[in-house]
Amino acid sequence: MKIALLGNPGVGKSLIFNQLTGLGVEVNRYPGSSVALECGNVCYKQEKTEIVDLPGIYSLDGNSEEETLVRTFLTSGGADVIVAVIDATKLERNLYLFVQAAEFSPKMIAVVNMIDEADRQGLLIDADSLSSHLGVPVILAAASEGRNIDRILPVALGQATPARVHVPYDHHIEAALKSLEKTIGTPMHTNLLALQGTGNDPVLLDAAGAIAQEIGMRHRMSVSQIIATNRHNFAREITASVVKRSNHKKPYDLDSLLTRTFPGIPILCTILFLLLMSVFLIGSWMEEIIVEVFTASVITPFLALGLPPLANQLGFSLLIALQAGLGIAFPFIFTFYIGLSLLEDTGYMTRAAFLADRAMHRIGLHGEAIIPMVIGFGCTVPAIMSLRLLKTRREQTIAACLVTMIPCSARTVVIAGIVAAFVGILWAFSIYLIIFILLILTAIVLSRITPGEQFGMIVEMSTLRMPQAHLVLSKSWLRIKEFLFIAMPVLIGTSILLGLFQYFGMTELFEQLVSPVTVTLLGLPGYASTALLFGVFRKELAFETLAVLSGTANLGSVMTSVQLYTFAIVSVLFVPCVSTIAVLYRQLGAKIAIITSVYTVFLGLLIGAIINILMK
Amino acid sequence: MQPSQREDYLEAVQFFSEKNARYPSYEELAATLSKTVDRVRSDMAELGSKGDIIIAADGTITLTLQGKQTGTCVMKKHETLQCFLSEILGMDSSSASEEACTLEHAVSDETIDRLGKLIVTHDHLLHNGKGEYKKTDDEKTCRVEADDFCKSPSISDFSEGEVVIIQCIHGRACAQRLLDLGLVPGERATIRRKLSNGALVVQVKGCDVAVSPEIASAIGVERLP
Repeated sequence: MKIALLGNPGVGKSLIFNQLTGLGVEVNRYPGSSVALECGNVCYKQEKTEIVDLPGIYSLDGNSEEETLVRTFLTSGGADVIVAVIDATKLERNLYLFVQAAEFSPKMIAVVNMIDEADRQGLLIDADSLSSHLGVPVILAAASEGRNIDRILPVALGQATPARVHVPYDHHIEAALKSLEKTIGTPMHTNLLALQGTGNDPVLLDAAGAIAQEIGMRHRMSVSQIIATNRHNFAREITASVVKRSNHKKPYDLDSLLTRTFPGIPILCTILFLLLMSVFLIGSWMEEIIVEVFTASVITPFLALGLPPLANQLGFSLLIALQAGLGIAFPFIFTFYIGLSLLEDTGYMTRAAFLADRAMHRIGLHGEAIIPMVIGFGCTVPAIMSLRLLKTRREQTIAACLVTMIPCSARTVVIAGIVAAFVGILWAFSIYLIIFILLILTAIVLSRITPGEQFGMIVEMSTLRMPQAHLVLSKSWLRIKEFLFIAMPVLIGTSILLGLFQYFGMTELFEQLVSPVTVTLLGLPGYASTALLFGVFRKELAFETLAVLSGTANLGSVMTSVQLYTFAIVSVLFVPCVSTIAVLYRQLGAKIAIITSVYTVFLGLLIGAIINILMK
Repeated sequence: MQPSQREDYLEAVQFFSEKNARYPSYEELAATLSKTVDRVRSDMAELGSKGDIIIAADGTITLTLQGKQTGTCVMKKHETLQCFLSEILGMDSSSASEEACTLEHAVSDETIDRLGKLIVTHDHLLHNGKGEYKKTDDEKTCRVEADDFCKSPSISDFSEGEVVIIQCIHGRACAQRLLDLGLVPGERATIRRKLSNGALVVQVKGCDVAVSPEIASAIGVERLP
């Protein structure tokens, strides 16, 4: 048996999913899409049941990747039972998706979640009445308290039936649906989509397009608007008959602080600054401990083994890679992800997007672009993947370029490890300042030259709520797993490659080849070029390699402050790491990947040269 | 007399009267319809007895209200059919007119109504909406609505705290997402927050939706009466 959870974003699907499956969650990529599907297995009555958490969507009519995925999933009968998760406090809006899903006539049950929150707001939902309206079993649940979650599986496996809902569409739409069904023989849900211009049967689309145009002229309203209105009205009628409102005291509305220009924007800046500062501070503190413990307990004993030189070199490279991975993944990225999950789970991210909308418009983007940007401070790879949020190619192109320039936590390691440690903390901040200025300049130029039209933001404000520690942790854990999965192989592979390079003495050859650039242009020691090259694999490798090649961890004793500063800024700016290039290529195509890479190399060398000339 | 003949007569009389601002004589009518004057005279007498026309003592014809209505209606059918046959099906105009003369008697009002709408749409496509209906990549993500009927003021013209009724989503906007979030015509919306740049938080169906200024300006609304 296979069960899929369907629902709007933020209805608590993930929480229900976690409670149903416990640990042992896998993240799968749906074929041909970058949307993650979480799958988990449970045993119920000695039968294996697979549970899939579908991405949160508002509608099945749209063309976003998530909506298309869920639609394909429904039409191809991807699951035996659909569990529709509904937010009790937003019943009407959530039923809109339910009635759409019901048109695909899968077996369904409805879980009305957050019933505790509805109680607090004075909303009383009559489950029996709702069940008779929808024609499927209804469970009132509160996932945050674990209430009634245990009933979901038995009911889903035992009593799920196709829903008995029929939206009374406008009679012209109904007539069109009937005639399409007669002439072309396609089912109703396909015809409804075709009337709105979605589908892959050219004959059907043609016929539907002509009818849609006529209906549109007649109603002076597009078919999509008519259909949406019909569905919303139907959902409203059901809601009106099953929900009772009692008087209740309105709780204090935090939004009166958070979404105003003042004090909203100062609050936003403070939150982002605190997030980055805590990652910076907690990260470097934890990294030191991890690296120290790892060196003492693994690397030193390994070197003491006295293996043959080649094996020794390979083993050492492998261990160094592991150390680098652990030293960056946990202290910096994990800390960052916890902060990010906190911001998301409290519902603050949507407020941030709203407030940032104006600033983002100046650089050709809109409020939602702040989300990839903030994620970019953690790791560029998931930030690029989250660019799906932006709907047009133009926005994605601009944002991709900016996100690759944002100092991710690996680059934070370089800045912290080289500049903050050996030059001074204020100089470290000056690097951020320089990058910030370059970001804005790049954005302004890009927004002028990138072709395409600008569209604005339409975002539902998530309900503000207290984040739950275990949810925040499990979400961060899933993300860090994804990060390790992408980054670790690259890290180990390149580290071993570097070891072999060194073993066969090829690094010197490379250094001589590029010495005009490194030594003359940037004023760096020759071996810095190798460090920069390996920084392309993972940014923090630039720092580690530099330490290895210079033969001392005390970089201040072998390089001048200007050299260290130049090295840091060049390695921070220049070329996103290979994982970033790979994900850029996958999401946006070769052209953008190449342009972004070339641009950042050029920018890095240019700024490095300028600093070298100015400060020499 | 056949009903189709009656309709032909009434149509001809009406057409002539609109064109020349007077009713035709028997001779003129006979010439238009290629019939003999005697035949026309006897047919006219029959129409007079049915109450479609009034024949004065001096032989001049006047249409009664009933006759005028029938005549106008048939004439409109003729024009619509002729237009459809020549403009859309591409027939040459004289054979289109001839064909329309036959079809006009059998066609229902509903069909004419729909044909009329079709011609208007077609015209719109040909002349006004150059390329507007071409599917582009942008349109797939953000459907462009050619909806210029709505004359309601935009929600951006209202201020924080006001309650409005959504009338339409016009112009070029990512309309689908708005529709899915419940911003549909007829829906009641409260403006929860308005920033100085015109970005809005709108409450519909108990949910807060944040929109950029350019999206807000595409939402046509009326004040709650």
